Amino acid sequence: MPASVTSVGRPTANFPKASGLPLRQMLPPLWHVGNKGEKIMAVEAARPLPGVLKQLRTLLEPLRKEEPLPPQTAVGFFTDTSLCIGCKACEIACKQWNQLPAREPVWAGTSYDNTRELNAINWRHVLFIERIGRHEEGDHDGRGAEETAAAPTELPFFNPDRWLMLSDVCKHCANAPCLEACPTGAIIRTEFDTVYVQQDVCNGCGYCVVACPFGVIARDALGGTARKCTLCYDRLKDGLEPACAKVCPTDSIVFGPVDQLRQQAQARLAQLHERGLREARLYGADDTILEGGLHAFFLLLDEPAVYNLPEDPSRPSKHVLPASFWTALMALVLGLFGIFSFRRR
Amino acid sequence: MRLERHSFSTWLATGQALAQRLGQISSGNGWMERLAALSTGYHPDPEREQQEPTYYDYPALKEPVWRWEIVWYFFLGGLAAGCYFIASLAALFGNAEDRATRRTGYYLSLLALLPCPLLLIKDLGRPERFLNMLRMFKVRSPMSMGVWCLVSFSFFSGLSALIQAARDQWLGRWWGARWLARLPQRLLALPGMVLALFLGGYTGVLLATTSIPLWSRSKMLGAVFISSAISTSSALIALVLRLSAAPAAALHKLERLEWGALLSELLALLAFLRGSGRAARALVGSGPAEHGPRFWRLVAIGGLLLPWLLQTRLLLTRRAHGEAATAGAATQQSERSRVRFGGLLLSLLVLIGGYFLRRTIIEAGHSSSRDARTTLWHARAAR
Repeated sequence: MPASVTSVGRPTANFPKASGLPLRQMLPPLWHVGNKGEKIMAVEAARPLPGVLKQLRTLLEPLRKEEPLPPQTAVGFFTDTSLCIGCKACEIACKQWNQLPAREPVWAGTSYDNTRELNAINWRHVLFIERIGRHEEGDHDGRGAEETAAAPTELPFFNPDRWLMLSDVCKHCANAPCLEACPTGAIIRTEFDTVYVQQDVCNGCGYCVVACPFGVIARDALGGTARKCTLCYDRLKDGLEPACAKVCPTDSIVFGPVDQLRQQAQARLAQLHERGLREARLYGADDTILEGGLHAFFLLLDEPAVYNLPEDPSRPSKHVLPASFWTALMALVLGLFGIFSFRRR
Repeated sequence: MRLERHSFSTWLATGQALAQRLGQISSGNGWMERLAALSTGYHPDPEREQQEPTYYDYPALKEPVWRWEIVWYFFLGGLAAGCYFIASLAALFGNAEDRATRRTGYYLSLLALLPCPLLLIKDLGRPERFLNMLRMFKVRSPMSMGVWCLVSFSFFSGLSALIQAARDQWLGRWWGARWLARLPQRLLALPGMVLALFLGGYTGVLLATTSIPLWSRSKMLGAVFISSAISTSSALIALVLRLSAAPAAALHKLERLEWGALLSELLALLAFLRGSGRAARALVGSGPAEHGPRFWRLVAIGGLLLPWLLQTRLLLTRRAHGEAATAGAATQQSERSRVRFGGLLLSLLVLIGGYFLRRTIIEAGHSSSRDARTTLWHARAAR
């Protein structure tokens, strides 16, 4: 069942407060039965019929299903980690544009990555995988001693002594588990084929948080609603590219139509393979992950698990049928046993 | 006086030594690890797990936001569903002696159901927007279906309890009460039972429809929760019936049902652990972030295996007693009181076990979400 598109507008950018009006302001005036409630009621009753009808219409407004906006070209990100220099400009640009608050910095103690995760207020996250000297302790890939000996003469790019960097972001999955789980219809697919959380609808049930196989979407104590990358929906509406892609100095983050980006990713992969970088691979650029691929995909220089990316996550909504089957079977057995228990003397 | 103090301190010392010894036996987690390996079929290999790549062991998933509210909702929702189910069984298939079961079941169902919506609303990040849940009817989202089920089940549970109250003449003798008492309670029970079974089981399906390895790897959680709903409810109804000295025949039926529900819960739980394999470590292991001690003591053994064995013994002695009752009635009095105490203990064990089943599964789900290596293994290994 597709999600209904009820109110697609410019996302509110003024964070902590954000997320729509308080309940009292959202209700039509008839419901404002405050200290002078009686007076208001009297005024409403004195109005002519069309006024009452208008009142009824505003009352039923939340139930009205809007026509979805005409679809545009599907857009997304291609994040090429071979070009990332770990400057974190994308993180900052995202925070600035989306007016996300900053937390007191806490040193991770493991690497230069002190952001550590994508969450309700970090919609871009630069990973720093510092592989200095790891081969000496015995690398899991089993890169031998010969390689280490040859290393100093090689270019840093091909050297096992290297840093891997990746700017992580919401993957805007073609079959987004968060969208499929959302019971309020707050999470929608926009006309740009991106996944967007309507902050004025979300009630913070937290089901999307556990549905997301990438650990992206999060509920924050500040707003109480689920938040994640919007792919700068407001900028897209005005024909601008998202802030992170705009600011990326090495074009590691490329924004564009998904089809075009996929071709570009294939071409880049072929180029890297040709130059001998055999471990380069694409993640989410085809239709395999979550049975439809990702609209924000990556070129990786190692296996996905190194970047904390699940290799082949299962689509949670696919679990409904088998889980229901076992539950129904058990219910049937218990029902029959119950009848037996009560019938037999 | 001095002698007394001396004997008291010796007694205390003996007691302490005994407690220490018991602690040593139970804190030696060897038996727990053996049970964990046996039930999940996974033998942990820390060295190999350490070789698996992750990103500084930072969690690859977000931690669930669900806490004690959801634990209590799962427990009370299960009780509401199970009590309705059992009361309806008694109404549809029972005899005159099952009237107490039916009455207790319908009242308890409504009582257990009342806090549920409040707990769910409190759990929301924006509680004032709880009505937004009713904007959608999404078949693929167990939470959406669950909300609709809860709303419609409330109607049936409330109405059935009202009819019962009217029939018990708790509502007085005015025309409304007489009209309520004439409503067909047994007809309501049919759709109500279906909804009750849905309510008791969907919570497990909801947890299975996530990306948390512990909850979603095996698809058996719904089966575990529905059987636990029936077993805890029959324990609760039996507890109330025992305290109110209900006819033994009605109790006997409940005990039989509980015996079957406990057995099916044990089997479903074993299937769940076996199907989860390594993902179930967060639940059954005895490591620092694992919930094995509580799970094995309070749920698997204390809340399932022990009550099931007790119940088996109780049913067997009942049968033997029933045969002996015709022979002589002299020993009957002492026999009954002993059986009664065992029954109360059994009901309490099952209820505590049912609560901790939900609690350990939710808490172990939190641990499971933080375990990046298992998460990545779960997404890599064939399912």
